Amino acid sequence: MTNHDGTRDGAHLRAHSGAAGNSSPVLELDEVTVTFSSGLFRREHVHAMRGVSLRVEPGETLGLVGESGSGKTTASMVALGLRRPSSGAVRFEGAPLPRRRRELAGRMQVVLQHPQWSLDPRMWIGHSVAEPLVALGHSQPGDAVRAMLEEVGLEPSFADRYPHELSGGQRQRVAVARALITRPRFIVFDEAVSALDVSVQAQILNLITDLQAEFGFSALFISHDLGAVRYVAHRIAVMRHGEVVETADTETFYTTPVHEYSRQLLEAL
Amino acid sequence: MSGARPGDVSGDGTSGGGAPATYPSTSEERRGVRMRIAHLTGWLRRLDWLSRCGLFCLLVLVLAALGSMVNLGGDPAEIAGGRLQPPGPDHWLGTDNLGRSLLPRLLEGIGVTLLLSSIAVLVTAVLSTALGIVAGYLGGMVNNLVMRVVELLYAFPSIVLAILVAAVVGPGRPAAMAAIVLVTIPLMTRLVRTASTSVAQRDYVTSAVVSGVRLPRILIRHVLPNVAGTIAVQGTYALSVGILVEGGLSFLGFGVQPPQASLGVLIQEGGVYMVAAPWLIITPGVVLILAILSINVVGDGLRDRLEPRETRSLR
Amino acid sequence: MTPLMEADDLAVDYQAPGRRVRALDGVDLTVARGETVGIVGESGSGKSTLGSAIGRLLSQNAQLSHGALTIDGESLFDLSAVQMRRVRREKLGFVFQDPIGSLDPTKRVGAQLRLALRGRGASLDVTGQLERVRLADPRRIARAYPHQLSGGMAQRVAIAMAMATEPELLVADEPTAALDSQVRDDVSTMIFALAAEAGTSILWLSHDLAAVGRRCGRVAVMYGGRVVEDGPASEVLARPAHPYTHALANSAPASAAPGERLQPVPGRPPVLTGPSPGCAFADRCGFAIERCRSERPRPVRIKAQSVLCHRAEELAGSAALAVHGVGSAVATTPPVPLGGDRS
Repeated sequence: MTNHDGTRDGAHLRAHSGAAGNSSPVLELDEVTVTFSSGLFRREHVHAMRGVSLRVEPGETLGLVGESGSGKTTASMVALGLRRPSSGAVRFEGAPLPRRRRELAGRMQVVLQHPQWSLDPRMWIGHSVAEPLVALGHSQPGDAVRAMLEEVGLEPSFADRYPHELSGGQRQRVAVARALITRPRFIVFDEAVSALDVSVQAQILNLITDLQAEFGFSALFISHDLGAVRYVAHRIAVMRHGEVVETADTETFYTTPVHEYSRQLLEAL
Repeated sequence: MSGARPGDVSGDGTSGGGAPATYPSTSEERRGVRMRIAHLTGWLRRLDWLSRCGLFCLLVLVLAALGSMVNLGGDPAEIAGGRLQPPGPDHWLGTDNLGRSLLPRLLEGIGVTLLLSSIAVLVTAVLSTALGIVAGYLGGMVNNLVMRVVELLYAFPSIVLAILVAAVVGPGRPAAMAAIVLVTIPLMTRLVRTASTSVAQRDYVTSAVVSGVRLPRILIRHVLPNVAGTIAVQGTYALSVGILVEGGLSFLGFGVQPPQASLGVLIQEGGVYMVAAPWLIITPGVVLILAILSINVVGDGLRDRLEPRETRSLR
Repeated sequence: MTPLMEADDLAVDYQAPGRRVRALDGVDLTVARGETVGIVGESGSGKSTLGSAIGRLLSQNAQLSHGALTIDGESLFDLSAVQMRRVRREKLGFVFQDPIGSLDPTKRVGAQLRLALRGRGASLDVTGQLERVRLADPRRIARAYPHQLSGGMAQRVAIAMAMATEPELLVADEPTAALDSQVRDDVSTMIFALAAEAGTSILWLSHDLAAVGRRCGRVAVMYGGRVVEDGPASEVLARPAHPYTHALANSAPASAAPGERLQPVPGRPPVLTGPSPGCAFADRCGFAIERCRSERPRPVRIKAQSVLCHRAEELAGSAALAVHGVGSAVATTPPVPLGGDRS
């Protein structure tokens, strides 16, 4: 188990690290445990996460691999402040997550899995992309929206379309644009390419790495697909049954991961 | 290849043209309204023939109701001829026990029944939407509270509930309306809640929450538009239930009070002379059945358009 | 000897209100007895339509446009419903992606299995059938309802039902896509073992080129409703002869070496509304010439593969279609990026 070694982190940041002089991690999960209880009479407690410690350094992408039920989705909910841990601490930019979720608005964004539900089907693309800015009180986000659409490789005229007029890949591009429009320090990509066609996946993965080089955000990239995680992440954490079984540099996951389960994942590629 | 879906006629006009300087602007909002109207007419064209028949019937009934306001077919209160005359050239639908012509009374009855039920269903729709969306989105205690109250209402047989209301409020139109609201609220609230729960779990809502969008805005901009289909479909069903409840209540004498006519009142009055003058009960009865059937058929058509289900079968 | 399954210029359309979508645009494919064939394609490539067509399990808005599909020499679209049921019962087995959804939620597993076995001439030994798919406690599982099973268990039950009669052809539509990776391997191994034992041919539909290549003897790659490349798995994987197969192999993130940039296929898969005038991949292909857009390619033979590409012979001579990262045979070949296809 290498989930407690904080010492190796930090050394692998890319040169474009966004926060000069600020060496504290952007996001830190410290011994986080999340327990669900089920059953009406005989209360059963299920540990979705058990003593999970993760840290995402400035400008870095941390990959989180695991299968359905491994707790990686719960981890993303905790990181986003949408679920309170039963025990343990979550720190964002060095401070504990605020009680009110809105205080994080604009500093933390998310790109989720389902291209068919990532955008409100009854909202114009332009309105969807503008939403995070509007939530921050901007009243004329039109130019920013069009500029952002160009950043993600879409024509500005897409602002006037509805989601059903777009392909899955285009919709994920829009979701990325919406996440980036507030220039957040940290973005969670939760299975962001899993539902896309193989030939389109690479387009979005390249887009994410290019935009990271340009904007310098930190990211938590969650997927069941080690291949995709390995491609975009600088470090990788492997989750299984609610625990992190291995954390190591990406290079390790091309050759010799330590944990037996990580090796299984590697062989399955 | 464009991904335009069938049933959508708005796609064509949107892509071309220069982008306006500000976003959103009022001209775009106006175009949005135009597109919604285009959406609506697009739907109507794609309804199946049964729904179209229903829609046609409904339209005729509404026109008849409007006609009654300008005393089309005569004054409903006027004693126009002999008592209990069968349908004939003077009185197309015959006359009742007081010698009033049935046609104008029937038109008045249709108008009263439709108006009363529509207003009541509108009230239901507003209340159910508010309750259902809030309960479905927030879940937890709020959801439990709303659902327990709604289930309590649901447990009463509708006509008993209606009589109970009439007993408290006193017979009359307000009693009928209150009864319709109480009878239709449970089902509609439950369905709006179910729809809202599933919308609340969708990725665009999560993204909005993460972006710091405020709760009222999420409910109005995201949840409401995406459960609007359910509301529309359930609204039509509620309308048919409302007509039925009004009929039953007025038939029992707790609803609309004579001399004002409603379909229920007419059936009740006709029932007394069922043997001597069967047209007095048959005509309003047929109209009542027709109204309920056509509304249901329209509701089915709406549902098929809004929530299509794939049919998979072995050919 | 007649092939077990043969699709000849098969074209199927889906009729939606206001438009028509072409799902299969002239599929040519044969499966011989005992063969294991992997069909690789992305969503919309038509692979699932082909799989359903083999059992005549298409949705009601599907229409046969032209072509023929035969099982054991019998033309499926000419059979009566009764005859079709017999073919399904005696010759075909199906396993689908969602294991729990493919079982009846209201019946116990044992009862369902018994129902599937009866009338098929198979033995009514339910626990025996469950043991064959290596379920640990067959008696307990026979008493369980589908929702009480894990995905892996339910898929094993579905496989037991499909294989109980030892069908001649098993159509497996992404049978392991919904399962966890450890279970995935066990389940695929088991399907192939059972099939080998019973002499059943397998038609394995998947979007994962590499995974299919490991299991199947032959791979057919589908794109735009046609089989664009068909040949021995090792050859198709290591030396793809169609630009699409090549792009598919190179765009999988797992194929990239550390620090290497993926070469994505620009654009997106087409949605056909009628027969494609030329090659369906032409718009995304870095090698496309004028002829590719106007003339439908006919199959050409490149070494062991049958390929639908006008320029296949030309490209086979060059190093343009080298694959990196997939298959040990080519690991030493330096990666050659696809030229001129950047979006």
